[in-house]
Amino acid sequence: MGRYQTFLRQRYRAIAAYTGLVCLIAGVGILSPLLALLAYPEEWTLAMGFLLPGGLLIGLGGAAWQGLRPRNGASLTLQEGSVIVVMAWILAILAGTVPFLRISGLSFTQALFESTSGWTTTGLSVVDVTQAPRLILLFRSVTELLGGAGLAIITLSAIAGPSGSGLSSAEGRSEQLAPNVRRSAKLVLKIYLGYIALGILALVLAGMGWFDAVNHAFAALSTGGFSTQDESIGHWDSALIEAVTLVLMLLGSLSFVTSYFTLTGRFQSLWRDGQVRLQTVLIGISTLVLLTIVALPIYSGLDKAIRVALFETVSALTTTGFSTVGYDDWGSLGWGMMILLMLVGGGAGSTAGGIKQLRIYMLYRSLLWEVQQMLKPDRVVGEPSLWQSDRRQFLKDTQVRQVAVFMFLYLATFSLFTLIMSAHGYALDKSLFETASSIGTVGLSVGVTAPDAPVTLLWTQIAAMFLGRLEFFTVFVGLTRMLRDMGPVLSRK
Amino acid sequence: MAKSSYFVVVGCGRLGALLSSQLSSAGHSVVTIDIQDSAFRHLALEFSGFKVTGDATEMTVLRKANIERADCLLAVTDQDNLNLMVAQVAKIMFDVPVVMARVYNPMREAIYKDFGIATISPTQLSAQTFLDILSQDMQMAL
Repeated sequence: MGRYQTFLRQRYRAIAAYTGLVCLIAGVGILSPLLALLAYPEEWTLAMGFLLPGGLLIGLGGAAWQGLRPRNGASLTLQEGSVIVVMAWILAILAGTVPFLRISGLSFTQALFESTSGWTTTGLSVVDVTQAPRLILLFRSVTELLGGAGLAIITLSAIAGPSGSGLSSAEGRSEQLAPNVRRSAKLVLKIYLGYIALGILALVLAGMGWFDAVNHAFAALSTGGFSTQDESIGHWDSALIEAVTLVLMLLGSLSFVTSYFTLTGRFQSLWRDGQVRLQTVLIGISTLVLLTIVALPIYSGLDKAIRVALFETVSALTTTGFSTVGYDDWGSLGWGMMILLMLVGGGAGSTAGGIKQLRIYMLYRSLLWEVQQMLKPDRVVGEPSLWQSDRRQFLKDTQVRQVAVFMFLYLATFSLFTLIMSAHGYALDKSLFETASSIGTVGLSVGVTAPDAPVTLLWTQIAAMFLGRLEFFTVFVGLTRMLRDMGPVLSRK
Repeated sequence: MAKSSYFVVVGCGRLGALLSSQLSSAGHSVVTIDIQDSAFRHLALEFSGFKVTGDATEMTVLRKANIERADCLLAVTDQDNLNLMVAQVAKIMFDVPVVMARVYNPMREAIYKDFGIATISPTQLSAQTFLDILSQDMQMAL
């Protein structure tokens, strides 16, 4: 056995151990809806559907962690972190399909779709929520809750995570709150859970029932968007509930770093932050345009029109995917605005999806700087800068390059998936909308996603949601690394 | 020392990087400062703290590293005078409880002591170790 092989095997033992740990935590998450049995004991017959996948994940994960755990807490490279994240997410999604298969009578593809939609905090659904038992509804919200925080972050905040930031960076959460990755993860979870507790209370006070409040708070703060009602938030038709949900969605899409600084009294970081500024401008402009051109002619009364324009804008931009109305009569401009908002997405370092406001803002600042540079004398030296929370960052060429490449990949995949959808016979505008919704992990739908949608279409959306949540590169790096190392690790030479 | 302390490490050369990485993997909060971006490549994978690029003799750079909150500052650049200055600033201006500095020139250790700054002198340590080994191996009366 060569030295390289020994080394690789040792690394993969650690990788398997940490994947096990992540799976263990996902397994506990899958079991957690069973707590609701205390309130709804009549649904105990459904328990097996959760015990089986949850128990399996906990058993396998625990065994891997116990058996293969490196003695003195190894640290992981970004590549190894990617392998762990990709494997753990695939396993969690697969285990998450079982409850849907056993209870809701979905086909495998439909169950997988629902599970992926949950973990990636998308919120597109093929389940009939009016028929679904409470446990299933709660389970969907719990997967969004966990997927929103990120499995890696939850694992890192546990007692025995790996040191180093390889794992959290791989899950697309490279921004840290504190100068230590574990402390940072704990802070993120504290803020997240605090928001959720507040959200549940606020929704109950606004007039929702407890069960609906829990589900919607989970779904709003994770920017997931599963609802317990067919018409989503529109079911209540209450301005107060819409207002509370609006705030929760905005909190969900606010970078945890900015949240942390604001909560600790450094308000400067809120209004200086580039992402917050961009978000404010985008919401302002979009609401105004949607209000004057789309909403006013359709809906009776100014207040209803304002409510719709504001709520739909925020829901799309924060990639949550709650809705209060249907979009069939919105026309091309309305759809176009929504598609763009979904593509931009929420803040980097939050629970939201999409391209992320930080990337857009970076490119905007670079563009501005580039133009200014052209107007200045030859020899003027400078660097484009932007405010990220409390720090002023200077943009390096490598950063701009990475962002540009990411944008290219994102839009290329977006185009490809749109074409695949069109190939199924859907109109171009519908295909664009639904693809933007899947790849940005939003969850708004114009009717393409339905129980009777073709299997290949659902698989395309599954791929889009998965790639969109893990931000492409992690999936590519993780899978390539795994395939390349498989040979040397397993060969008997 | 508390379970998780806040360290500021000035200078991210071989020693600074080693210290930062080990403190970070032990669960402490670590901010490392260096004037050159390229110095951070010395850091090991375990390091999950913040990196600040800048001249540590400037107050803004130290503030950027949140030195007001630091429990301990380690000045380990390769320049004695710079280490002394940063250590003094930390001690006097920011009241950092524990301040340590590396000093190459053993002659200067006395000055550091006067300022109440704990020092480690590699030169002194190496000399002592050499002498110890010599005295053991050769049974010399030194």
